[in-house]
Formats: sequence, C-alpha cells, structure tokens
Amino acid sequence: MRRLGLEALAFLAALWAAPRAGALWQALFPEVSRPTYAQDSWFLLLGSHLALSLGAVAAAAVLGIPAGIAATRGGGRALRPVLDAIFALAQSIPPVAVIALALPLLGFGAAPTLLALVLYAALPLLRATVAGLEAVPRDALEAARGLGLSPWQRLVQVELPLARPVMLSGLRVAVTLSVATAAVGAVAGARCLGTPIVTGLANANPAYVLQGALFTAWLALWLDRALGRLAGPGASRSGEAVG
Amino acid sequence: MIRFEGVSHRYGAVEALRDVSFAVPAGTLLVLLGESGSGKSTLLRTVNRLIAPTAGRVLLAGRDVAAGDPQALRRGIGYVIQSVGLFPHRSVGANVATVPGLLGWEAGRIDRRVDALLELVGLDPAAYRDRLPATLSGGQAQRVGLARALAADPPVLLMDEPFSALDPATRRGLQSALRRIHAETGKTVLLVTHDVEEAMVLADRIAVMEGGRLAAEGSPSALLGAGGPDVLRRMIRPELLAFHRLAAIPAGTGAVPGPVSGAPDLPEGASMREALLLMLTAGADRAALPGEPPRHLPLAAILAAAAGEGPV
Repeated sequence: MRRLGLEALAFLAALWAAPRAGALWQALFPEVSRPTYAQDSWFLLLGSHLALSLGAVAAAAVLGIPAGIAATRGGGRALRPVLDAIFALAQSIPPVAVIALALPLLGFGAAPTLLALVLYAALPLLRATVAGLEAVPRDALEAARGLGLSPWQRLVQVELPLARPVMLSGLRVAVTLSVATAAVGAVAGARCLGTPIVTGLANANPAYVLQGALFTAWLALWLDRALGRLAGPGASRSGEAVG
Repeated sequence: MIRFEGVSHRYGAVEALRDVSFAVPAGTLLVLLGESGSGKSTLLRTVNRLIAPTAGRVLLAGRDVAAGDPQALRRGIGYVIQSVGLFPHRSVGANVATVPGLLGWEAGRIDRRVDALLELVGLDPAAYRDRLPATLSGGQAQRVGLARALAADPPVLLMDEPFSALDPATRRGLQSALRRIHAETGKTVLLVTHDVEEAMVLADRIAVMEGGRLAAEGSPSALLGAGGPDVLRRMIRPELLAFHRLAAIPAGTGAVPGPVSGAPDLPEGASMREALLLMLTAGADRAALPGEPPRHLPLAAILAAAAGEGPV
C-alpha cells in the first residue's frame, strides 16, 4: 500500500515536471524543434482521461453486472449464451472503428469515445460476474434458501459477497483496458492523455508521442496494481482469465 | 404437529414420492430411514416447501404449508443439511444470527441468543463466535449448523443426513448432543438417514421409506423385530439385526431386584446394547443399574429381549 502511494506521488511529480523538463526532451529528441508538450496542463489531461475511462467503466458495469446476474438466475440461464455473444461482439469491434462509425451520429468530443470504451469494457465485467456467481458454493445457497432468505436476500447477502473477489478482478481488467484504450479518444477530439500522442503524430513530433504514451501506460499499470490489491491476494492475477 | 396427507411427487417420469401419509406428533424425534433414492430427502423437503408435492398436502400445526409466504414458513423451521452450508464470508456468530436477523430481532437479543446456542451445541462462545467457518473441523461446523437452525427457536427441526459426512467418533458426539438438545428443548425433529444404527440410537419413531412409498412406521424396536419391513433386513447385515434392536431398548426394562458384586456399573439411561458391550468387555454375565433400590440386569434378560420375547 505504501509503495503504491509513493508511486502515485512520483507519477504526479512527473506530470508536474514534464513541461518544465525542456532540457531532457531536447536531449532525447535533438532533431525536434519544440519537444516539450505545453499546449494543455498535464493535470487537466489526467483529470479528463480518468473521467472518460472510469465513467466508461461505470457505464459498462451498469450493463455488465446486471446482465451477469440475470444470466445466472434460474429463468435467465437461457439468456447466457446470447448475452455473452452480444458482449463479445461489442468488444471485438476495435474502439477506433467504433469512434469512426459513431462520429457522424455523436459528433466530436467525449461521446463517441465513451461509447467505444463502454462496448470494450462490458465483456470482462459480464464474464467476471457470471464466473463469480457460478463459483458460489451450492451448499451455502441451499442453506440460505432453507433458512428463509428471499431471492433478493440470497443475492445481496450471500452470492454477491462471495462473488466479490472474482468480480473485482473483472473490474480490474475493465479499468486497465479502458484507461489504456481511452487515449484513442484523442482522434475524436476528446481531451485526454492521448491528446499529446495524436498531436505528435499529426505534427511529426515523436517527443509528444513519447510523453503521452509514458503517462498513459504508467497510469494504466498503476491502476492495475492498485485494484489488484483491492481484489485481495487470491484474485491477484486471475482477472486475465476472464478478460 | 406434522401431517403428510397423500403426498406424491414426480420429477418428469420419476415418481419420487407415492401417496405418503403419516403424522409426526409434537415433540417426537422421527427418523426417515431409507436407501439412496427412496424419497426420504424429498419428503423432508416438502415440509419447508423446498419441494412442492405434485399431489397431496403437508400440514404443519394444522396449516397447509403451501398456503402463505414460503420465506416466512422457512424462518419458522430449522434446517440442517449434510454439507452444512455455513456462509464462508460470515463469522460463526453471524451465521448463527442469520434467521434472528431476518426476523428483525434487536442486536442485544441476537448476541445473547447466539452465545446461548453456541453453549447449547457445546462450543465455547468466546472461542468460536468470531471465527470464520473455514477454520472449523467438520464436526464443529455441523454444531454451528445446528445452532444456526435452532437460532429463532423454531418448533420444528429438519435434518437431512446431518452426520453422514462425519467420522464415527465425531458422529457419536453429535448424536448424543442432538439427543440431549431434543430432550432439553422438546422440538419436533425430522431426521433423514440411511444409517440403521443412527436411526436406532436417535429415534423415538422411525418411518421407513422404500421406492417413494412409506414401507413402515413405528417404534425402533418394533420395526427391527420379526414383523418389521424387509427393506431393513437389506440395509443391515441380518446377524446384526438383534444387536441393533437392543440399542432401542433401555437396560432398565430387563432389570431384576437385588445387588450384585463384581459386576460392571451401567451409566444412567444405558441401552441393552451398551449393557451387552459392557458385559463382554468385563467378562461378566450381569451388570448393575444405577440408583436405589439396587437392581441389576442379567445377560439372560438381554438374550430374551434380542429374541423379541422381552418387554418392548
């Protein structure tokens, strides 16, 4: 926990230092005339990147978790292959293609990116919810029923708490995917840590690309480990299996 | 207390229960005895409506269990299963508190009740209340399962093969705990088992199930006697029939007056089977009964009882 906190401080310090480290960027990219990205505040880019990617995960959770619950109820079991196919199809469309297709309908800015990220992140949440609920011990459920817990009480008091570690590992996969992928939103004009990358590509400025990529990757890796801690030791790397 | 009236149940083409009718008087410990697939568990589960009969009805205290809310019905009936099914994410105390919590008891009352129940099932509350189920042995877990079933003081307790997964010594410990609790609380208990010996040790009455039908219902000693159902003869080695039958006969029924010397002393409430084992161990042909005036049990009385001649 302490290491994660120190690393977060180091990350914020690096964000602060990036526009002030002109000498470093110049040394790395001597052929680039203006290698220091200073068009936007890095903190602003971080804030909108997080809002975009975490907002998308929240929306994906609103879709994926109830769908996973529905797919494990007695009557909803037949739905399961259908839901899985729909969510898998949604994830299989590359986010950049979703953005391109949605642009004429939703316009420039955050909206098409949000849509692309929601479609991308919903599948790991659905699968983790289903896997977590399926792994709840049958005997505990039988006892809960026999003791007089209603279906809702069984879900809230027994099933979801027991499914939590697996669900959290799905959440971790969704967050990591979403944070890493949100950078493509910059092509649709969404302000995020991808903005320096897209600007750098457009202006043949590899220094901008490096700075944007560095912070996007660092953020995604840090969140992955932070959420891994939350999910507990038993679920540490299991998220990949359901992603 | 519990009355089965023409209860039948069909899963597709399988007739799990066929027209079962009998009554369990209040305060009775009735064992549902049968082989695998005989319908005994299915019958038990009709009482708390985990299974709805396809024909007939089940009455609990005169009321059809099919009427009203199934959750409310189940909260008023204790339920213990072979696999225990403790909630692994909740402490022992929180597991026991499940039904009182559902019924909205206030916290202080729940805490006192949890401690009293852990005491009742033979677990020290201070040592066990805050432990997680994963840290318990099989026998301790089933004691907690029993405490959880009794938490809201239900008049009826349903037990589905509660001790079948335990080793013999642990099983005997829990059987005697159940006998003591039954004597102390006067609950109506319905217990499913395939173990004839367990049935003889525990039961006031035994209902024998075979192929979904009620094959016989009666006292343990009567069922293992000459007129008992054939299915019981299949379930135990025939040469042990008389031996098991002795487990259901109190040693006092064959006692004769007079002191004996050099004979082993029987504990309070011993059965004829215990007396026989004690005599074999001590190499004696009689055993002394506790209490005054002095009485003793001769070996001949055990032989007579085993042959079905003695008082039953």
